[in-house]
Amino acid sequence: MYRYDEFDAALVRERIAEFSDQVDRRSSGELTEDEFKPLRLMNGVYLQLHAYMARIAVPYGVMNSRQMRQLAHVARTYDKGYGHFTTRTNIQFNWPALQDLPAILTDLAEVEMHAIQTSGNCIRNVTTDVFAGVAADEIEDPRPWGEILRQWSTIHPEFSFLPRKFKIAVIGAAKDRAAIRTPAVGRQIVRGEDGQTAIRVFVGGGQGRLPHIAQEIASAVPGRSLLAYLTAILRAYNLLGRRDNIHKARIKILVAAIGIDAFSDEVERQFAILRQEDLRIPDEELARIRAYFTPPPFQALPATSPSYDAARRLNPEFARFTRSNLRDHKQAGYGAIIVSLKPIDGVPGDITADQMEVVADLAARFSFDEVRASYEQNLVLPHVRLEDAYAVWSRLREAGLATANADLATDIIACPGLDYCSLANARSIPVAQTLSRQLADADLQEKLGPVRINISGCINACGHHHVGHIGVLGVDRKGEEYYQITVGGSPDEQAALGEIVGRSLPADEVAPAIARALDRYLEVRNDGELFIDTVRRLGADPFRTAIYEPIDAAA
Amino acid sequence: MQLLEQAQDGVRLTVSTPEEDIRAAAAANDSLILEFEAFRDGRGFSLAAVLRGQGYRGRLIAAGKVLPDQARHLRRCGFDAVELSPGANAAPWRRMDQVFSAAYQPSSGDDRLVWRQRHAAPEDAAALAARLNAQWADADAEDLLRAVLDPALDRKAAAISSFGAEAAVLLHLISRVQPDLPVIFLETGQHFFQTLAYRRELTERLGLTNVRDIAPDAAALTAADPRGDLWRSEPDACCAVRKVEPQARALTGFDTRITGRKRYQNSQRTDLKPFEAADNVLIVNPLAAWSADQIEDWLRDHQLPRHPLVEQGYPSIGCWPCTRAVEAGEDARDGRWAGQEKTECGIHGRVLTPTC
Repeated sequence: MYRYDEFDAALVRERIAEFSDQVDRRSSGELTEDEFKPLRLMNGVYLQLHAYMARIAVPYGVMNSRQMRQLAHVARTYDKGYGHFTTRTNIQFNWPALQDLPAILTDLAEVEMHAIQTSGNCIRNVTTDVFAGVAADEIEDPRPWGEILRQWSTIHPEFSFLPRKFKIAVIGAAKDRAAIRTPAVGRQIVRGEDGQTAIRVFVGGGQGRLPHIAQEIASAVPGRSLLAYLTAILRAYNLLGRRDNIHKARIKILVAAIGIDAFSDEVERQFAILRQEDLRIPDEELARIRAYFTPPPFQALPATSPSYDAARRLNPEFARFTRSNLRDHKQAGYGAIIVSLKPIDGVPGDITADQMEVVADLAARFSFDEVRASYEQNLVLPHVRLEDAYAVWSRLREAGLATANADLATDIIACPGLDYCSLANARSIPVAQTLSRQLADADLQEKLGPVRINISGCINACGHHHVGHIGVLGVDRKGEEYYQITVGGSPDEQAALGEIVGRSLPADEVAPAIARALDRYLEVRNDGELFIDTVRRLGADPFRTAIYEPIDAAA
Repeated sequence: MQLLEQAQDGVRLTVSTPEEDIRAAAAANDSLILEFEAFRDGRGFSLAAVLRGQGYRGRLIAAGKVLPDQARHLRRCGFDAVELSPGANAAPWRRMDQVFSAAYQPSSGDDRLVWRQRHAAPEDAAALAARLNAQWADADAEDLLRAVLDPALDRKAAAISSFGAEAAVLLHLISRVQPDLPVIFLETGQHFFQTLAYRRELTERLGLTNVRDIAPDAAALTAADPRGDLWRSEPDACCAVRKVEPQARALTGFDTRITGRKRYQNSQRTDLKPFEAADNVLIVNPLAAWSADQIEDWLRDHQLPRHPLVEQGYPSIGCWPCTRAVEAGEDARDGRWAGQEKTECGIHGRVLTPTC
């Protein structure tokens, strides 16, 4: 993985000095709260319901064990002993004191981490495929491009005061495991006509109040021109995006308002007049960054491991875990293990300091010192020998991290909701917990197969409910917490927004309603048909009926 | 970037003006004022970048609602100057403008692009000195020390101290920034015993943990100065064997040398800059700009122990045979090699015109 050189290290330290200066000027009254707010947000500091929240960047989701241990240290020293992983593969601490923030940032800088641009109207943390460098179907490892983007977007002089936040995702395979059609700009690595790296670019995605799936704006931008092209997109957006209405300020609204063709013309115009030679990534710099992401020294192993196969035969619980949480690796004899942060009845994405240390130990011992944060709010040990899988599982199980539910119904994505967030209308966590208990039966979950359920506590959609196969949105109905259900959303290469099935429901009716919808799926599916494919084939109606019939009958 | 305290004359457009109108105005004027209506409205940054990208060479001035925290954004997007609002404090503007030593993005300003630096030949000491002098023009002595000891710069630094009359100031600053910094003390064998006592007292008092006594090479000393009176006949040769050679030996492997030299000390030092280079070694003079009064104030304000000979009229102290007290009206260093042409011992290197 990438390691900071002197320049990266200096920049992060200088950023802390800058932020400390700003905090001092806020304390002395030299900066007003209105002036200070965007500055603190660009350093990851939110003001929540009960306390400040610090959001730490995990660039493209990649960490080493030292970093994970330092996160545990931060959780223990400055917070209440836990953290929360988000869909943008960042980690949030919910209870830091404002005066501890410079110390937290200094501790993080020691392990090459920071909170730069994890919030604010700027370019946010870049995300990618959690199985980068693992999946057999990738054309090219997207992480070097993630690192190039991290550097280029960090402390950008022109794009730090955009109309609204701007998110970028990048993948290296046709299969989209990073939801690249949901952020402002999605980028997929393809092969250009000359055989070199090129990037297919999607623009104008975004969730929140007015969700949009990103549209393709370029089919193959040459890799070296990527930063120039992105600059053109951002420049067009910065100059033309609305600033009069916060709900209409994101690029998705601009693209929708003037149309993808007009926006594309504007981008082309800016692209043509900007000094592209300055932004062309030098070959030696691309080579330098790529060198950090060469595959680890894998052993030459047979594709199967007798000890692994034996453990699967002898231990049904382990066998189930491998079916749901172990993914194929392009290197024979290895697998990627999904560490579930979704225990039954747990808070999605939460992890304690002790658990972080367990994961750090396992990464150091069994996964070439690498651990990844995923879009689904789980962690991944990307490079585990199959013969070590049983040892890893045993340790995870002791630590409460081996729930066999990756991509299954209880692998629920949820925002912090009204338990923490000052924007929320309703709580997300208790709904997720009730649903998790309702669907806890492991056999049932396996029978259901992959189902993505997403819960957001408000229309800002941090829980990505629009693109959940089943989405739950918290709404405020005359001071009561109610929940609207959508069906048929999808975050992947067939991205779609879910359809609202009907009126919102009180909290205690949500889990039974979703259980009925899933039962209906078992009744109507074709052999081997996934939930989302059944919805695509039949539409939302059968599920709407399953959800509302008993309620209407009782009314 | 220039900080302007008064409103400027010239064509003044708000950042909500359409891009084509801004470009037309730029084509017709060699100076343009862009007025920000809200500091959150970042259009002005893109407008400046567009104009500079298009080759606009005129003057670009930012005005209106902008924060000191946006100084570097303005400069790097191509603004030459900013109109400060009446009564605005210029200090944070200067600080925030210089807070980053490098940048990941190319810009029309003079910033050092990280990509280029990574793949450029290593910066030689002269270029580094020039850069640091520009970057830290307004910094105080402690900041200069911090700047050069910043791990990001990756220098191997050592300080030289005579533990003389004013040495306590530099050593005090070092104790605040990095008490384990190697401090080279040349134990010439000819020091006043008061100097040796002072070296121990000050080291202990300041908590310096890495003061190194460097003695002359025994064989060379026996050969050159068997009776210990070489100073009488050939003071240069005496300095060579007791100071110049031992220091060169002690500094082998260090690429950065921190000294306590000041401009006021003698006429050869009047152009002394905080950062200099000699033979690809970076020489740092954090106190270059200090006056004698500042030194006195600092020693007094921080209650630092004084060299015992100061009150006996020795303002500059070297080896006992070649140092005398000075009379009223003499320069501080007039007591060094009094009655000779010699003014420097030679340890401060060639480029520096001698010094000590």
